Amino acid sequence: MGRTIARRLVDAIPTLLLVLTLVFVAMRILPGDPALAVLGEHATQAQLAEFRRKIGLDLPMWQQYLSFIVNSATFNFGNSFANNFSVSQLVRLNLPYTVELTIAATIIGTVIAIPVGVASAVNRGKAIDSGSRVFSLIGYAVPDFFLGAVLLIVFALNFGWFPINGGGDGFADRMWHLALPALALGLIKAAFVSRLTRSSLLEVARKDYVRTARAKGASERRVIYLHALRNALLPVITGLGLSILSTLSGSVAIELIFGRPGLGSMLVGAIETRDYPVIQAGIVVFSLFVVLVNLAMDIIYTLVDPRVGDVA
Amino acid sequence: MAITRRSFVAGTATAVAAAGYASGASAQAGGDTIRIAFAARGNRTLDPAASIQGADNWSITHIHDVLVTSPPGRFAEKPSEFVPQLAKSWEMSPDARTWTFQLREGVQFHKGYGEMTSEDVVFSIDRARDPKQGGGNRSLYENIAEVKANGKYTVVVTLRQPDPLFIGGTIQDYSCVIMSKKATLEKGENIGRDPIGTGAYEFVSLDPDPSKGIMMTANPKWFGGAPPTKNLHVMYILDTTARTLALLSGTVHMIEGVRAPGWTQSIQQKNPNMQFDVAAPGSLFTMHFNMSRKPLDDVRVRRAFAYAIDRDAIAKAMAPISRRTWGLNAPSFPGGLTADSLPPELRYPFDPAKAKALLAEAGFPNGFSMDAYTSQREDYKSVMLIVQELMRKVGVNINLQVIDHTTFHANNRKDMNTIPQNSSAYPPVPALPLGDNLAKSSEVKPDGSGGTNYSHYGVLIPGIDELLDQAGDEPDFEKRIAIIQKAERKVLEDVPLIPISTNGYLIVRDPKVKLGYEVKSGYAFWPLSKATIS
Repeated sequence: MGRTIARRLVDAIPTLLLVLTLVFVAMRILPGDPALAVLGEHATQAQLAEFRRKIGLDLPMWQQYLSFIVNSATFNFGNSFANNFSVSQLVRLNLPYTVELTIAATIIGTVIAIPVGVASAVNRGKAIDSGSRVFSLIGYAVPDFFLGAVLLIVFALNFGWFPINGGGDGFADRMWHLALPALALGLIKAAFVSRLTRSSLLEVARKDYVRTARAKGASERRVIYLHALRNALLPVITGLGLSILSTLSGSVAIELIFGRPGLGSMLVGAIETRDYPVIQAGIVVFSLFVVLVNLAMDIIYTLVDPRVGDVA
Repeated sequence: MAITRRSFVAGTATAVAAAGYASGASAQAGGDTIRIAFAARGNRTLDPAASIQGADNWSITHIHDVLVTSPPGRFAEKPSEFVPQLAKSWEMSPDARTWTFQLREGVQFHKGYGEMTSEDVVFSIDRARDPKQGGGNRSLYENIAEVKANGKYTVVVTLRQPDPLFIGGTIQDYSCVIMSKKATLEKGENIGRDPIGTGAYEFVSLDPDPSKGIMMTANPKWFGGAPPTKNLHVMYILDTTARTLALLSGTVHMIEGVRAPGWTQSIQQKNPNMQFDVAAPGSLFTMHFNMSRKPLDDVRVRRAFAYAIDRDAIAKAMAPISRRTWGLNAPSFPGGLTADSLPPELRYPFDPAKAKALLAEAGFPNGFSMDAYTSQREDYKSVMLIVQELMRKVGVNINLQVIDHTTFHANNRKDMNTIPQNSSAYPPVPALPLGDNLAKSSEVKPDGSGGTNYSHYGVLIPGIDELLDQAGDEPDFEKRIAIIQKAERKVLEDVPLIPISTNGYLIVRDPKVKLGYEVKSGYAFWPLSKATIS
């Protein structure tokens, strides 16, 4: 296991380097001058030149690239162009909010999706299956930001049960602030994962070993939960991994609507103002996330199906 | 108009909230704190010499004071209307080149940084005019030759050219607030996150989390008397829906409004008691013609645009924040043109038939197509989509691309747009918008090294610079205004740009907050030093 993890981490280095290079090139190709974005349209040429000198944009491109890679590798991202806060401080502020939102949404999504998917597969063609399909269809059709806005208006504005905006302070307050955004993302995630669970379980239910288990007289409950579901979970884990990654990058709209801090909105804001240090830090953190989530999925795969570990 | 994610959500929020608002808005805000939320991603800086974000200036002007200011809620329109702040009196020399300020004695900086003296004033103004500072109002300081202390409580400012409007243009600007020299030198760059002023509110904290923002507490020793409300909390909530809901739920008491058609009406539907404070004129919205491009080099084509664009309709669509304007200076500003002050041929009333005739005369009886782009920012996009539709009716097809705001300005500065637009707030200094937008020295350059004269006026059609120079040399207020008006009329004849409208700055206020005055005009911030909350 340890070797597998180490190998995966080493494999990630060229990927990260490629991502960083693409980010560097993309930021330079993108139209828009960071100096103008920060100093405003009425900035004088002297002010713009002074700003470019101060942040190193007047250096040759290769020099900018080298310092970009070295700074990224050492997690030394400097200060934000826009507000002069240390980028590390901004990441430290935003990262926990994104992580807690992703984890909470994943837990809500999984807790709802797997029982719903199993019930739907077990009761194929019955009312419960139809109900589950309608739930999934709605989940697929409704964008998370819309669901977020509706939850916010109903439960925060009208009933006053939840806060309108912000991320909260202290554990209880943070959980209170987290509830609605996590529910919005979790419900959407549940729709996707429950469909995946249903189709995967139906697929597995036709396998010989499931038939054998039934023929040997195992109870239906034992057949489903011990024999079928364990194997059906492999594609679900893959789907869950992908959905975690999409939650990480796609939580921007939810963060905006709920006025929450988070990596997504930090990154979008930085792109708007061409705030290179914040963009590079955000991308590095996101890339690391991708690597770690994939690694976690591999480990869970191995735990669910030890044969996968042998192959890896 | 295209439906965007934001407008879709905002519309939904409007509909659902309108249905349910009455049932349960909960007032969460305390009675000793006024909370105000702005449409920005977060604070950029609280350093007055470096600030360019309007939302931050609310905090800057509450933490610091200027020497002289306008009456609360409006711009001083005549020199006699200015009111003292840190200067108890001031005097202009007959040639309008030397200004002498007598300072208030005994005014203390926050947090024990001592008494405010002439040394702090000289330091602050010199710092604001330092070209190395990144503030957005550098041009206001170019006329200052020297700032000198004359004793502990007297400051003398010498100008290069006469300026009878020096107070209105420079001294009352947010960037000219007085900072503690000792604190600024001691804190270095950190002064932008831990400012020390003499203002009605003292800085407490700045959180990088925009929803927590900036906390300020009342300064009991403020020279104007202790503010009645104990705390001021400035927050940043960029999303329109989130900001609107924060106001409706009582989480905040004041929010920055949206400069887009229909937004204020949607708020009024939800809560008719909400107060709308609009500081007019706000930003001047201009559409420039890149006269180096055909067919915009033809004055008949440019005049056709002027007749085809129904500026009254645009102002109506953007009500209540928008006003029709005739020249570069708002009608309420000194020397601002109005319909009555213009000959009929320079009023350009909405007349599509005349526009078509001018196009035909210029060789375009069937109109023409052209590419242009605008910013995705709500005010730009809203106005330009209306312009696009109006021009289509006279046969001019504008292929309008909506691009992100940073790219938009960067491309404008590289002479890439055919009809660049600009939305800028100007103080009541009549020469300023003309100089910025039309002077030869501000001409836009393809390499980005030029200024914001996007039409190449003054170069392709000379004459404006001479008039601006004349105005600059004229010490007499009335005579200077007359020269500026002459320049404005020349601009209307040549049509290098069209002043479309002024878009006021809008704050929506919970009626529980009383300002103590009515907001009529002024900068995009106003004092809460006498505000109360019930």
